[in-house]
Amino acid sequence: MLPSATISAATRKKSLSYGLWRISQGPVLWLIPLALVLVTFFLYPALEVVRISFTNSDMISNTYHYTFNSYIRMFTDASFYNMIWITFFFVSFSVIFQFLLGFIIALTVDKGEHLRMKGTVVARTVALVSWSIPGVVIGIIWNILYNESPSGIINYLISFVGIGPVPFFTSPVIALFAISVANVWRGTAQSMILLYAGLKTIPMDVIEAANVDGANSWRKLLSVIIPSIRPVIVINILLNIINTFNTFDMIMSLTGGGPGRSTEVLVLSSYTTIFQLLDLGKGSAIAVLLLLINVVMSVIYIRISKEGVST
Amino acid sequence: MKAVRLAHRNSKQKIVLYIFFVIVAFFFLFPILWTLSLSLKTIPELFEIPPSILPKTFTGIGNYLYVISNYGITGSLLNSLYITLWTVIGCLTVTLPAAYAFSRMKFKFSSQIQFIILMFQMISPLVIVIPLYKYYSSLNLLNSFTGLITIYIAISAPFQVWFLKGFLDTIPKELDEASIIDGCSRLQTLIKVLIPIISPGVLSSVLLISIMSWSQFIVPYILIDSPAKMPISVRLLNLQSSLTNITTHYLAAASIIAIFPTVLLFVFLQKYIVSAMTAGSVKG
Repeated sequence: MLPSATISAATRKKSLSYGLWRISQGPVLWLIPLALVLVTFFLYPALEVVRISFTNSDMISNTYHYTFNSYIRMFTDASFYNMIWITFFFVSFSVIFQFLLGFIIALTVDKGEHLRMKGTVVARTVALVSWSIPGVVIGIIWNILYNESPSGIINYLISFVGIGPVPFFTSPVIALFAISVANVWRGTAQSMILLYAGLKTIPMDVIEAANVDGANSWRKLLSVIIPSIRPVIVINILLNIINTFNTFDMIMSLTGGGPGRSTEVLVLSSYTTIFQLLDLGKGSAIAVLLLLINVVMSVIYIRISKEGVST
Repeated sequence: MKAVRLAHRNSKQKIVLYIFFVIVAFFFLFPILWTLSLSLKTIPELFEIPPSILPKTFTGIGNYLYVISNYGITGSLLNSLYITLWTVIGCLTVTLPAAYAFSRMKFKFSSQIQFIILMFQMISPLVIVIPLYKYYSSLNLLNSFTGLITIYIAISAPFQVWFLKGFLDTIPKELDEASIIDGCSRLQTLIKVLIPIISPGVLSSVLLISIMSWSQFIVPYILIDSPAKMPISVRLLNLQSSLTNITTHYLAAASIIAIFPTVLLFVFLQKYIVSAMTAGSVKG
């Protein structure tokens, strides 16, 4: 054993850099930047919303006390249940049609590639373009298309089949349909590309075996294709549900939540309650509901991806 | 005989598919093309019945010049560009080391931590921006690009960690070992050996972060109210609420200007973006 006096400065310096080297071998140093960002801008604010929702604080003053008042007011507000229904309709309509349309396009593009058709890549690209357009602009574009005056293009086009003019923005029910259709336009790209990538993973011999068995297209779809890409379908639907629940930008520029509050979905309702009605407590309670939905959905998502990894 | 019948069936199928592709193209392109057409029209043309598909003259180019010189669009585009650039740099700086650790090191709770990170990706930005508004206003960070960029980095980071880890996982570990025997530290290995190999993946990351931060709306809508600091998305909503029917062509022109960079990136680099969009949810 060495007496401590014989440890030279050089050794100590060496042990310092050795210490640094040791640390760099472990994950901590590598994860610190990410951890800082996520804790400061995600974990802390998310917990803070939950805390605020249990207080009577507002945006300006710093005094508050803890109370269930916000939740009581949220659940006793009649318009709350209407908002839930609007959100439910918006999400279900969007997700069902994003999936169906995305799946049909994925199948046809895949088929087109097998038949070596020209223009398949063009069709695929076109179906994906909407994904690269900011939500606010999608809202503005559809707002222009839905224009209620006779020079509004959709109203003009459907007048040929004897419909219209349709009051897209003044009828509450039609406005809700209108934002849902615009959202299908927006979200189909994501569905299509995931399902298309899923189709690519089906081994050729499985399809060929079905062909040899003389299965028709419908039978192949139901008993070969859909079962093979089931995990992708489930994940795709979950992602669409989450994305649609979180939609704010497009609705803001398309209807602004109107007419009245007939297109005010969950996120919009939370925003309006906090920043227009200046009711921080109640708005945060609505945001907590949204957070809860986000967390539940992601837990399901994680469970399914874990299954996907293990099999 | 059979071959002939098969060829016949194939060509019938092809016709059906082409018709379907045309319908799909119409559904997805028409809204954009119609906006483009409106952006080039004059005021009388806007109210024409029946509406004409194409603008009759090319005087409509003037709409773009008018929009650019009158509504502060250029400033907003530059703001968005600045924010996007720093978000890309910041996000990669934060996520590359983390992706490296998850890909190359074995430690306790590694997979649990990764799934918690994934969970953050699903949380609506509105949820986090509510308390941040309160704190930013007390820290004087409202209307600040720095305040905005840090949040954008946090919003794009969760997905990017997974995405970049996926690319790092495809590189054999022997390569790291060789570089470490050559005397490189782990950081040098990451920068000099691994990142160059996964550069297509990093490019996809850059595209994805760029499009995300260009489109970001709810965060700047709440945190920015000074017109000079507005990114393009918020500026457009402002424009929309200040314009009336008579100026639809200006709004259309501004929209086309706003989507031009991202659509262009998408069309030319779609190979990378498609790989990015499918990452993580499809294996194989």
